[in-house]
Amino acid sequence: MKFDTVIIGGGLAGLTAGISLQETGRKVAIVSAGQNSMHFFSGNFEDAGPAKERTAALFAAAGVRMSALEGVLLMPMGTFRQASLTLEDVTVFPDEHVAEKALIVNFTGFHDFYGTFLAEALEKRGTTCRIRFVRLPEMEHLRLSPSEMRSVNIARAMDEHWEKVVADIRILHKDEDLILLPQVFGLKDASVLDKIRTALPARVAFIGTMPPSVPGIRTQMLLRRRFELLGGTFLMGDEVTSAALHEGVVSSITTRNLDTVRLFADHFILASGGFFSKGLVSTPTQVYEPLFGLDIDYPEDRNAWYDADFFADQPYMDYGVRTDAQLHAMKDGEPMKNLFAVGSVLGNTRREDYGTAAGLAIRTAFAVADIIKGGNV
Amino acid sequence: MKRNEYDVIIVGGGITGAGTARDCAMRGLKVLLIERHDIATGATGRNHGLLHSGARYAVTDQESASECIRENMILRRIASHCVDETDGFFITLPEDDLNYQAKFVESCLAAGIDAQIVDPKEALRMEPSMNPDLIGAVKVPDGSVDPFRLCAANMLDAKLHGAQVLLYTEVTGFIKSGDRIQGVRTYNHQTRKCAEYYANITVNAAGIWGQHIAELADVKIGMFPAKGALLIFAHRVNGIVINRCRKPANADILVPGDTVCIIGTTSTKIPFEECDGVRVTPDEVNLLIEEGAKLAPALASTRILRAYAGVRPLVSADNDPSGRNISRGIVCLDHETRDGLKGFVTITGGKLMTYRLMAEMVTDLVCRKLSIDKTCETATTPLPGAGGKSFREVAERFWENPTTVQKAAAGRLGTAVGRFQAADSVDQSLICECEEVSVGEINSAIERMDVSGLTDLRRRTRVGMGTCQGELCGCRAAGLLAKAHGCADRARTDLKDFMTERWKGMYPIGWGDALREAEYTQWVYKHVLGV
Repeated sequence: MKFDTVIIGGGLAGLTAGISLQETGRKVAIVSAGQNSMHFFSGNFEDAGPAKERTAALFAAAGVRMSALEGVLLMPMGTFRQASLTLEDVTVFPDEHVAEKALIVNFTGFHDFYGTFLAEALEKRGTTCRIRFVRLPEMEHLRLSPSEMRSVNIARAMDEHWEKVVADIRILHKDEDLILLPQVFGLKDASVLDKIRTALPARVAFIGTMPPSVPGIRTQMLLRRRFELLGGTFLMGDEVTSAALHEGVVSSITTRNLDTVRLFADHFILASGGFFSKGLVSTPTQVYEPLFGLDIDYPEDRNAWYDADFFADQPYMDYGVRTDAQLHAMKDGEPMKNLFAVGSVLGNTRREDYGTAAGLAIRTAFAVADIIKGGNV
Repeated sequence: MKRNEYDVIIVGGGITGAGTARDCAMRGLKVLLIERHDIATGATGRNHGLLHSGARYAVTDQESASECIRENMILRRIASHCVDETDGFFITLPEDDLNYQAKFVESCLAAGIDAQIVDPKEALRMEPSMNPDLIGAVKVPDGSVDPFRLCAANMLDAKLHGAQVLLYTEVTGFIKSGDRIQGVRTYNHQTRKCAEYYANITVNAAGIWGQHIAELADVKIGMFPAKGALLIFAHRVNGIVINRCRKPANADILVPGDTVCIIGTTSTKIPFEECDGVRVTPDEVNLLIEEGAKLAPALASTRILRAYAGVRPLVSADNDPSGRNISRGIVCLDHETRDGLKGFVTITGGKLMTYRLMAEMVTDLVCRKLSIDKTCETATTPLPGAGGKSFREVAERFWENPTTVQKAAAGRLGTAVGRFQAADSVDQSLICECEEVSVGEINSAIERMDVSGLTDLRRRTRVGMGTCQGELCGCRAAGLLAKAHGCADRARTDLKDFMTERWKGMYPIGWGDALREAEYTQWVYKHVLGV
């Protein structure tokens, strides 16, 4: 099989590059292992930088609604974060005084949403809070298995029964000017969020839960659908098994599902993620990039890989694939001619140039797509 | 007797202190136990969890060996829910001297340990994870024991017999009158308040920190801090304990416990000042994996969950720099006869296996001093939760068709699991998926077992001890604690401490899947949850 570009990795970076290239009619394939960082996405791009409008446009075309309000987000554990570009159901407040009175609603037995933390955070900032629980007979089957009360399972039930929850909340509501709900709505169809907002008697804010992230999963599905509608080939649940390299050029790869069928392409983009996604692999003595054996800078002494403080910036997160200025991946000190690296496989140090992880993913994906489109390789 | 007056004050909330509190309380004494941190924070919670048969000491220390086997048999009865009767092998590898085996078996039998030579092929059939190159195997009645559960059960029973327990309370000095200790001065780290408590006798059961406690009383005990590092693997690779049949050395015991197995230990002399912050070094990790793989080759490719280290409370006897040749024997000091200081005794040395005997010895001494004539009953009275045949049998007493969550709870709590009988489906929902700990079990621990934070909760319920090392359950349990204590700020700070403590044991083995898990966890906490 021959493509213009083959992208390894179906997360935010891979999909952004794929859609961007496919929009200009190129023939692109994405090899995706399945779960990726989008499933753990807070929905906040924090700083998309100069790519903000372009990101919003690409997402809008895919049906992903964005909010470009400047302000703060209330995080699940009751802290605040700056936001300038978020998914639409990630509520942005203009400042930290969010309301006079707030009603926090959770589902009985759902332990991945923390009303107590939210209430305390809001009360410190002058908001009076009430926490109330709702319990639907339609969801009781989830309790048969003790590990089923999780965000995505509730979201599946909510796709069908959201109106019943809204009716319960209308009964619980007194005079609050804000209602806080967990982000478990609109998994299939984000328009439910608007319907909930219209049906409730106060302003509604959707607040993050423990992973998996319902907005993140919905976004990933929409981006993938957009990519496929544009004619892209999305190889789901597959992984690259080998690559043919010769004199700095990748000619083809093989994947586990396609077995002996080789995927040929003019360009390859490595968007395989960090350690968690197995884009980078570590052993007691080494850090390496497993598909192409690309160059990575890291200290030999393993003691230097970590900071003893769990919450500090960890040195190991900085290690990533070395590239030239045009994001050509380096191997044995030389840039590969048709292999680019984007997103988390580049490591954290690059985030200084590109903002946070989401910013890094999107901006490096756009940059590489532009280089390929311009033929300036 | 006034409110702050007791018959006996016990300093130290490890297994020795807990066992002593139980014994004293069962003999009718008014008991106060004071612990600087939480239960089982010292050597009690930082060892193999090996139910020694005594075979390891048979050749070098007959006295310890026979103490071990006697206590081994007692714990199987009184703490059945804490013990896993796995048996153990002592294997001889090609590089070991097979002649040692005969001497080993002879010494075991002399100490009363049922040691049987097993044909290597048969042994390998019984425990397939063992090194297939083995040339000899001896079967002994080793097992595994959950030291947290054992300590908590002793503490709970002491309280049921009227003992009072003060956690997070540090002894800062003694109240002395002439040549007699009359009580202790304390500082509570949670309330930040000082207090004084009085007793006829104060028992120093502070393990390695006993040296410091003795100094506060102006007597000198020369401790010999010996650090031992261990690794926890993410799977139960072996079903039977595996030891090397040779003189005790580094990393020659592999113990299965719950869903994991543990290799250890090293032995390094450390300065007394370092006892509080022991860390495992990369060299120790490498050595443990290398030596461990000789016992069970699968260890070389098995994921490691964490590394940790404890400090043995040995009392120095000679100048052996490794600390291995010092007797593990029990040291019970009457400071009245030794140092002319009345009202103060020290119980130290020994090991997890002999905690009950140590408690009996020191309680006998306390009773003699108080002229109380009561015999010890701890060897025959079961601990709370003991008495079931197996966790399945216990679970079936309370539930018709117990779920895996109910069986897991029965495994942890033994017959005491009955209080969840009426629990509804919300109580059954899981907080910790790795260890199958439910909401009901956590709420019950918060109510009944002096839980002030997540790390305390972990020691009592195993929350956060599984594969994910707390990444998901930490938050969920923090949510329950925030609700129970009505304070989200405290729960959030506590969650930070909990994750920092979990990370301390993860980064020494931070590669491969462990690093993947760590990257994910650090990402979730920082960027998704905003901790």
